[in-house]
Amino acid sequence: MELENSVVLVTGGAKGLGLAISTYLQELGSQVVVVDVDSEALASVSKTFDCHLLNVTDPDNVKVVVKEVIKKYARIDVLVNNAGVIFSEPMVNIMSPSNIMHDYSRFRDSIVVNMDSVFIMTSAVVEQMVMSRGKGIIINISSISACGNEGQTAYSAAKAGVNAMTISWSKELARLGIRCNAVAPGFISTDSTQAALNENILTHIKNSTPLRRLGETQEVAQAVGSLITNDFMNGVILNVNGGLTI
Amino acid sequence: MIDRLTDVLSEVFGLRKDQVTSELTQNDVGNWDSLKQMDLITSIEREFEITLEIQEIIRMNSVANIIGVLQEKGVNIGA
Repeated sequence: MELENSVVLVTGGAKGLGLAISTYLQELGSQVVVVDVDSEALASVSKTFDCHLLNVTDPDNVKVVVKEVIKKYARIDVLVNNAGVIFSEPMVNIMSPSNIMHDYSRFRDSIVVNMDSVFIMTSAVVEQMVMSRGKGIIINISSISACGNEGQTAYSAAKAGVNAMTISWSKELARLGIRCNAVAPGFISTDSTQAALNENILTHIKNSTPLRRLGETQEVAQAVGSLITNDFMNGVILNVNGGLTI
Repeated sequence: MIDRLTDVLSEVFGLRKDQVTSELTQNDVGNWDSLKQMDLITSIEREFEITLEIQEIIRMNSVANIIGVLQEKGVNIGA
């Protein structure tokens, strides 16, 4: 699919990695619709993008916004499921004797925001693609954590679920003209990465990465663009991690 | 029924050609589920060079109905 004039909806697109993806695709000629739950971030980019306030974990809210976008542009060609929140909590926290085990409600919350949201968004958008008999592309933003990461039980499980949905949809929806792929970033130089990991861990990650550095958001955006434009890529989990997993 | 439609149905559902009759319905074919339905639709669209609307796809749950939809769309299906 050509990027130029394609209608692309990016969730969590008002800041961080999502903003980099939105900016990259718009610069290449796509009509980018940004949805985000962060109203301040959304306001900061409202002059650049068509912006909609949206909680991607709320199915009713999602349906309303998707209908608004369809009404305005007649179609959604590409959905980029980027919204999510990095969440770290050890399974056993021996330093907290009164409550040493991973909290279940926080586990559920992380699954909902990182995995259920992908299902909810994709369901609403694919319904529109199918009803219009249009072709389409779903790009899910996964993570290197999908293969399991210590201290990230919930986040890892959610991203593994995202990978599984990506493969399932790539097999099931291809007959409808809908491709589905994922990008699995490694450690990317973003505010959320800096906030989640201390300097010692970041240094260890860099030393463990063959390219000896963190990734840039632009490099993840480029991977998204490649998955959109290459019409034979389907069911791909594209690692963008500097070789950290090899 | 014309050979082209018989060929499509036979290939999609793995039926012998003599099993494909105008009386055949979704209930008669064990693997005629929603996924096979979309395989059928894409095969029909490719074979007859048409695009089917979603309501037409939903109606196409028997060979007779498939023929009916194709006729409505102006596809010459012969006898």
